[in-house]
Amino acid sequence: MSESKLGLYICTDCGIGDSLNVEDLQNAGKAKGAAVIKTNPFLCSQEGVQVIKDDINNEGVNKIVIAACSQRVNTDAFEFDPLKYVVERVNLREHVVWCQPPNTDETQAMGEDYIRLGVVRAMKSECPVPKITDINRDILVVGGGVTGLTAALEAAKAGSKVILTEKQAELGGWARKMHKVTPTKPPFTELEKPVIGNKIDEVNANDNIKVYTGTTIKSIAGEPGMYKATLDVNGSEETVEMGAVILATGWQPYDAAKLDNYGYGKIKNVITNVEMEELAAKGKLVRPSDGKDAKSVVFIQCAGQRDDKHVPYCSSVCCNVSLKQAMYVRESNPDAGAYIIYKDMRTPGLYENFYKAAQDDEGIFLAKGEFLGVEEAGDGSVLVEVDNQLLGKKVKIQADIVVLATGMVTSLMPEGFDVNNLTPEYVGNIVRKETQDGVIEEIEAVPTTLNLAYRQGPEMPHLNYGFPDSHFICFPYETRRTGIYAAGAVRHPMDSVQSAADAAGAALKAIQCLELTAQGKAVHPRSGDQTFPEFRLESCTQCRRCTVECPFGVLDEDEKGTPKEHPYRCRRCGTCMGACPQRIINFKNYSIDMISSMMKSVEIDDESEEPFIIGLICENDAYPALDMAGQNRIQYSPNFRFITLRCLGGTNLVWVADALSKGVDGILLIGCKYGDDYQCHFVKGSQMANERLGKVQETLDRLMLESDRIQQVQLGINEWDKLPEILNEFSDELKDLGPNPYKGF
Amino acid sequence: MAEETIITPDLNFVRSLKGAGAETLKKCYQCATCSVVCPISPDDKPFPRKEMVMAQWGMKQELAADPDVWLCHNCNDCSKYCPRGARPGDVLSVMRQKAIEENAVPGFMGKIVRNPFLALLIPIILFLAVLGSTGHLKAPGEGAIEYSNFMPVTYIEIIFMSAVGLAGITYLVSLMKFWKTMGSNGAATSKGFVPSLIATLVELISHKRFAKCEANGDRRIGHLLVLYAFIGLAITTIWITYYYYVPHIETHIPLSDPMKWLGNGSAAALIIGSLILVANRMKDKGIDTISSSFDWTFLIMIVLLAISGIATEAVRLAGIKSIAYPVYFVHLVFVFYTIVYFPYSKLAHMGYRALAITYAKMADRDVQL
Amino acid sequence: MAENKDILVIGGGISGLTTAIEAAEAGYNATIVERNPYLGGRVAQLFKYFPKLCPPYCGLEINFKRIKTNPRITFYTGAEVENIGGNEGDFTASVKVNARKVNEKCTACNACVEACPVERPNDFNFGMDTTKAIYLPHDLAFPMRYVIDSSVCKGSECNKCKEACKYDAIDLDMQDKAVEINVGSIVTATGWNPYDATKMDNLGFGKIKDVVTNMMMERLSAPNGPTKGAIKRPSDGKDVQSIAFVQCAGSRDENHLPYCSAICCMASLKQATYIREKNPESDVYIFYIDLRAPGKYEDFLNKIDADEKVKLIKGKVAKIEQDGDGVVVTAEDVIGGGKINQKVDMVVLAAGMESALKGSNLLSTIKTEESDFAVSEGQTEGIYAAGVASRPNDVTTSVQGATGAALKGIQSLVRRSE
Repeated sequence: MSESKLGLYICTDCGIGDSLNVEDLQNAGKAKGAAVIKTNPFLCSQEGVQVIKDDINNEGVNKIVIAACSQRVNTDAFEFDPLKYVVERVNLREHVVWCQPPNTDETQAMGEDYIRLGVVRAMKSECPVPKITDINRDILVVGGGVTGLTAALEAAKAGSKVILTEKQAELGGWARKMHKVTPTKPPFTELEKPVIGNKIDEVNANDNIKVYTGTTIKSIAGEPGMYKATLDVNGSEETVEMGAVILATGWQPYDAAKLDNYGYGKIKNVITNVEMEELAAKGKLVRPSDGKDAKSVVFIQCAGQRDDKHVPYCSSVCCNVSLKQAMYVRESNPDAGAYIIYKDMRTPGLYENFYKAAQDDEGIFLAKGEFLGVEEAGDGSVLVEVDNQLLGKKVKIQADIVVLATGMVTSLMPEGFDVNNLTPEYVGNIVRKETQDGVIEEIEAVPTTLNLAYRQGPEMPHLNYGFPDSHFICFPYETRRTGIYAAGAVRHPMDSVQSAADAAGAALKAIQCLELTAQGKAVHPRSGDQTFPEFRLESCTQCRRCTVECPFGVLDEDEKGTPKEHPYRCRRCGTCMGACPQRIINFKNYSIDMISSMMKSVEIDDESEEPFIIGLICENDAYPALDMAGQNRIQYSPNFRFITLRCLGGTNLVWVADALSKGVDGILLIGCKYGDDYQCHFVKGSQMANERLGKVQETLDRLMLESDRIQQVQLGINEWDKLPEILNEFSDELKDLGPNPYKGF
Repeated sequence: MAEETIITPDLNFVRSLKGAGAETLKKCYQCATCSVVCPISPDDKPFPRKEMVMAQWGMKQELAADPDVWLCHNCNDCSKYCPRGARPGDVLSVMRQKAIEENAVPGFMGKIVRNPFLALLIPIILFLAVLGSTGHLKAPGEGAIEYSNFMPVTYIEIIFMSAVGLAGITYLVSLMKFWKTMGSNGAATSKGFVPSLIATLVELISHKRFAKCEANGDRRIGHLLVLYAFIGLAITTIWITYYYYVPHIETHIPLSDPMKWLGNGSAAALIIGSLILVANRMKDKGIDTISSSFDWTFLIMIVLLAISGIATEAVRLAGIKSIAYPVYFVHLVFVFYTIVYFPYSKLAHMGYRALAITYAKMADRDVQL
Repeated sequence: MAENKDILVIGGGISGLTTAIEAAEAGYNATIVERNPYLGGRVAQLFKYFPKLCPPYCGLEINFKRIKTNPRITFYTGAEVENIGGNEGDFTASVKVNARKVNEKCTACNACVEACPVERPNDFNFGMDTTKAIYLPHDLAFPMRYVIDSSVCKGSECNKCKEACKYDAIDLDMQDKAVEINVGSIVTATGWNPYDATKMDNLGFGKIKDVVTNMMMERLSAPNGPTKGAIKRPSDGKDVQSIAFVQCAGSRDENHLPYCSAICCMASLKQATYIREKNPESDVYIFYIDLRAPGKYEDFLNKIDADEKVKLIKGKVAKIEQDGDGVVVTAEDVIGGGKINQKVDMVVLAAGMESALKGSNLLSTIKTEESDFAVSEGQTEGIYAAGVASRPNDVTTSVQGATGAALKGIQSLVRRSE
């Protein structure tokens, strides 16, 4: 990059000029090195922007600090090529004049500090240099059931080349075993013939899809755009290369033998819903025990599901499946009865029509009830005792076949593990290990499917119950392995219609990831970001914090523990930067030094009785919350100077030391909620910040500095109304503690 | 606790309900809207939600013993608000028919009633036989119209006294059977039978319960007229018998006689009332309800009974001899029909309903009227 | 023939945004046409999402940021597609862009609002409060630009806002504009409207003040709602200490919406947490037919069920009546075996979703089933549906479908260029 020249542009309207002494603002910027300083009464207008453009062209300004409104508005007006110009927005409007009384010393001091922070930030920032290499754009689809087949076809139809692997000798998965399928189209009342055969034919006929049956994955190594997989193809090894992976291995039925009082395995005529499909496919429904015509069939819903002891969740599909199978019973024998005992009839949305259709059949008897037990009657039939809650009494139903509507478990679940009792994040066993620091407990993850050569674990981290699901409602494909997208029942219980839709979505995400990767850009949530973390490895002490803490498993390790980069896995949150005690991980436009320098740039009045506080805020939630507080003209303490971070996960403890030695009285971290319902879009950022804070607070206590000087609060984006309370209280607390003893040193 | 019910699929009962006009019963998904919108359903174990599931599960015995199907007055507020179009009001109406049939003693009579032609054929043959055996098949030729010349009073007395006796006994037995099963399955009672029955009769006189109907409220007048008409006609019958045997007043009694007022008034009430009921069944109430053939049959019979009665009198007064005796014959057939089939027909609901309301009052699960 | 390589997305709610953004990030141009003067649709009106209880603004913020940084996305707000002509690869959509009367010079400084003398019912808050005739639709409105409600604005004879605006951002003479958009494929993501609760004459909405809908409950709970997030009853502003949720208020009902709206059970369970958190002494009664918390949502149901102050009662409320200063809801407790007449401070009707395609002129092009949800099989080639336009769904399933719809839209373009 050529010599840097910084231009500071201060907008004086929207109340800025009325509330602040603009000349002093200019001086503050000048003192920090702004070469060109201009004010404008309407900077976001064409004329205003033209001033900046002229300076770029005529004065060679290449770092632009715009002191006006929030960085979240007027983004198109202030858009300059990010690869050529550093643009820094100083928010004098929402974060200063809209939330502070006009023309006070405090407001003025705040405004000037924000100018300093902005100018220093721009000074310490450089334009990113995108990493662009040739990448492989093929997609590996693991699993040849309805989800995998659909994903392969959908991706191929959009122009991608696909490698499809299936563990079994034949494609089709569970769908191939279905006698009939529940309705997939309006009016959602009729059973349909399975169309999986057509799908298989279509896949086989597609030149862009290479199918490997009888194939498992021995390992997958690499990163988006450059993955290498070793396949076990019917016993022989083969290597393939691809850019992205779709995990579509589906589900497995919950083991009905684990249901102790349902008679499964003891009474022959008690079968599972999967076995019922096989039975129906054979023709006339007969009792498994003696081949007698089945005149009465009882379906027990939630056989294990919605039960803490077995499958705590609902499998979503079983109500529809039992309604379908009840129709089998009726088709097989017009005088036969089918009883469905349910907890809640769950046929959401337009599936209600299917429920209605089944209900209308004179031989289908439905009731909300509790299963109580089964016993064999002498004649080969089974007596099922249920508490029929609609009739308000216990009844025994005489059945020729009892069908247990057992639930779905993710195919990633290793044998011998219980969904209701799994180790967090990675399914595995807890092992005790001897280390220098004593005995520690660690999860030894059990590889099952993808066998990823990732330092953090061989499979996708699971959210709960073994499902590698996204935790984000708005972003259902955000797994923690960039370039690897789970779809279908492997990630969440779903039916074949939803699985097929999910497959299309995952295919798009894979294609999109490769498109962005090819341009050297980040995927969600910082999509388009062209920066990369840079590692000064010569100073690395192999402490492994970055490799452990990275929420996306970007970093592997060599034998010594030095991080090995896989830049295309990176989501640019900066958690590694925050984790590193050696300060060796930085971005071109986001670095430890940058934030440290900013903290040192503020002017602290040593004589003031008011505390001086640095606020570290997350840019996606806390920053907009502060904006909206401003929009609503909510007033709060003027003692804060907010520094925006990509994510609180980037908080490096060295900043605490820097700030305290500078004389800052306190630091407040404002970030997303963490814990089970975390809201951090980098998954663990705010949580990591909190853990680090715990450590630094110990240190502070040792230094006889009150640990309360540094706190973290969790704030949702829509909780701007809580800001005055949070900020004023923290400020008051610090005031009570008295000034930072290092002040003035 | 009693032995648990063992359930086996009884599709035939479900089919018979559907065949009798309850086609919609399987549509119910037990949301219980019906129990709430029903203006006369009690708070404790309300109907008709539970009756709907009993019907869906084909629980014949339970339904026959269920007092609540009788508490239903077929307002059809439930049908109006039913989100599934299951029409509980109509389904319960069919259940009442089935309950009458189920409780009927002797059982075959319940079946005969279901075939109106067969049911009418029996009195026709009976009367023809009586007339034939007594040489009255040919209409009396001379003099004024005198119905007793055609069918002597004694025969009338014998036939109808025995018909009333027979019907009365079988009806009583049926009702007792119902009372017993209802008692064995039902709720604990806290009030005495007699005061509850009296309260019930008082209530029936005013038809207060009907007044609570919203979707179908204007039926009250028609139903009340029919009820009063039957009471009036019963009194008239007793009265005329009294005239005949005690002061030995022979026919014809002048139209100015109070007995005549009562009789003709009741006949008029019967016609008007039943026509109101017919009109009510036919008009568009904004809800899609149906009436079973069981209901229609009896409504038509009542209308015919009243019309033939009035016609008998009118034809005599007008002196139209040519049709007088055939009209009288027809009237006698309808009277016989009404009396003999009373315990097995729609009309039987009087007793069942009175008992069910009494029972509800005894169990303290009656609604505030 | 030069085939068009752009995708038109009708509707800028969460589904439409997703389709457009996902397609754009995959390298295709997308144009969003949104009826409201802002993007974000229904979810912008929600206080929190189930089951995480996180604010929808958070995801919208990310999506808006993705739009701001992506030149492949264009959008029209306050605009409606009036007609669609042509075929896959070459569709032409006629779009009417309503006059916003505020131009891009607007800085959102709020001076106009202070000057405006006219008030209007705030449709964003379902009429529970008012805004001025010139207003910002909501706090996270994107674009962050004010808008004038022409139906109530007095125009240039008043002119007060124009005089107050330093930036020449107000153009009271602005006219509606017709725009033709040429695209290769179309994704309809028109979403839903709340079912008109006044149609259920036994549930009292519109007659009893303290009977509100579930969408109104979202606004009553949101910090930027009419009560600033305090759950108070509309009639007298008293803190709500007891509340009844009436499930299937219109849904699963042949007299109203024959289908299940798929989200109302979870929404009411979620709203139970609003009131339990804000008014900790409050009692909550949820009356349901079937509790539909499919999949892993079961955990959320269990969490709510564990709260002793929340009672889940199987039985549909079919009668709601004012009783003194409270409201009495009546249901049969099917499992308990008797009628319940529960007096509460406020009643929330879990009113269902109605396809926004209903009654729309898009129906001449987009094929739907009987309840006006777009079909996929037999749909016009090159036209796809996402989100609730295709069937009632929750947000995450809608987003999932919208992502897939983006791929379908792309496939159309790829197919036509082959």
